[in-house]
Amino acid sequence: MNSKERFLATVERKPVDRPAAWLGMPDIYAQPALFEHYGVKNMHELKLAVGDDFYAIEVPYESPDASAIYAAFDWYMDGNVDAEERTLTADGCFKDAEEIEDLDFFEWPDPAKYIDVEECKRRIGAAPKDKVRLGMMWSAHFQDTCASFGMETALMNMIANPEIYEAVDEKIIDFYLKANEIFYEAAKGELDAVLIGNDMGSQRGLMLSPEMVRRFIIPGCKKLVEQAHSYGLKVIYHSCGSIADIIPDLIGVGVDVVHPIQALAAGMEPKGLKERFGDKVSFCGGVDTQDLLVNGTPEDVKAKVRELRTIFPTGLIISPSHEAIMPDVPPANIKALFDEAQKVY
Amino acid sequence: MGLIQEISEYLQKGRAKNVKALVQQALDENLDPKEILNDGLLSAMMIVGTKFKNNEVFVPEVLVAARAMNAGLSVLEPKLVEVGNEPVGKAVIGTVQGDLHDIGKNLVVMMLKGAGFEIYDLGVDVDPAVYIDKAEEVGADIICMSALLTTTMPKMQDCIENLKERGLRDKYIVMIGGAPVNDSFCEQVGADYYTPDAATCAEVAKKVVLEKRAAG
Repeated sequence: MNSKERFLATVERKPVDRPAAWLGMPDIYAQPALFEHYGVKNMHELKLAVGDDFYAIEVPYESPDASAIYAAFDWYMDGNVDAEERTLTADGCFKDAEEIEDLDFFEWPDPAKYIDVEECKRRIGAAPKDKVRLGMMWSAHFQDTCASFGMETALMNMIANPEIYEAVDEKIIDFYLKANEIFYEAAKGELDAVLIGNDMGSQRGLMLSPEMVRRFIIPGCKKLVEQAHSYGLKVIYHSCGSIADIIPDLIGVGVDVVHPIQALAAGMEPKGLKERFGDKVSFCGGVDTQDLLVNGTPEDVKAKVRELRTIFPTGLIISPSHEAIMPDVPPANIKALFDEAQKVY
Repeated sequence: MGLIQEISEYLQKGRAKNVKALVQQALDENLDPKEILNDGLLSAMMIVGTKFKNNEVFVPEVLVAARAMNAGLSVLEPKLVEVGNEPVGKAVIGTVQGDLHDIGKNLVVMMLKGAGFEIYDLGVDVDPAVYIDKAEEVGADIICMSALLTTTMPKMQDCIENLKERGLRDKYIVMIGGAPVNDSFCEQVGADYYTPDAATCAEVAKKVVLEKRAAG
């Protein structure tokens, strides 16, 4: 099987020669050690050297405010959307908005102005055709809506002023649907899957009640999934944390793969997920990044991959339990993950 | 329904304006400010905390309840000062150096306030020495540290080592939390308590401060 056949079989939970495996997106500070370990010079070479079944492609986005689509909105109105010192609950520009008219001052970016179609084509064309070409769409409308008000204000608005929350969320979803359409049109026939997501879980449970997730997040998720499916793309849906209680809702809107299995979060044990949902959806992740990959030995990592392969003979993409591999993960443990995942038993 | 009970019910629903008005009414009717605080505001926040711990309510419900508690406290605090109400204890809290994740830390702040603590919130990206400097300055009982990232967790140990170097380790109760933190890490770095959620943190904090005080 090549990478693409292996991925599609995993998505359909059909037999695979060995599991598909995804490196994820190593943090920029984690990259130098990985490059050195594998004797490569850049991320492109690293993806090939590790034997990744996936090739992630980021959407090119260049506006006066941002150079990444996940930072497209200037919620802080200071022209500095990537500020590293800003906390995740910092107040956004809609902090004091109470009426829909209070949102009028904001200049919503037009994705058509800032996504270069030729650059989309170049990036997609540069991806090896035998890999699963994965568009990193994110389209994190829940997280963006939280940032637009400030996270705490946004979550309180869900209870106290849901109309204003939904008005902003709708604008953001429209932005992403338009942006994604540009990318999908540019990619026609050359893209296999996309990653879309919103962080909804904490270590110990959902951040919002399942009812609130269903009201405020799932409808947007449905639109984004349907759009991707209309282009023949498989959808990997990302949320950090403990999200077991809303996996049935993700399945309900057509998500193909749930990412990640954050192995140490409550209710996210691989065996339990397989028993509850293994015949309805596939998964990605499972190799814990909160302890095992950081503190374990390569042998420990291999043992975990063997265990995951036993639980999921198919239906699981072996991957770190968070896509952003941090610099405290020894590269030898990443190699161990791929070595064991790539063995054909 | 009595006025105190009404305050509690509205707080649990996160109705800040109602809580503020009812606290004012209670004061106007000469109810004991300490009773309004303990039986109206704080006990209600503790109920919300217990429900949060049990996944019966979630972050938004806790946030609106805390906002309602703060609205009530804004009216009540001048009266509490007048009657010489003492907090359960004082806690210095922050997210460790290199880490900007603060929603969990903020929830702990709300729960500790709900348990009757006076809080000194140092925010995020806090230098290990700054926790100690602040604790010394305000006469704190507890130092609370939060981290979401495996790469920033070691800063908790730096703070504890710094406490030892300054001969202050036994003076403070050190509590830690955050997604990757667990009991074995707590033991490894020599912290006093790891708690898995904000409500449990507040419960443990109150218990151990009162025990320490009783032991003299």
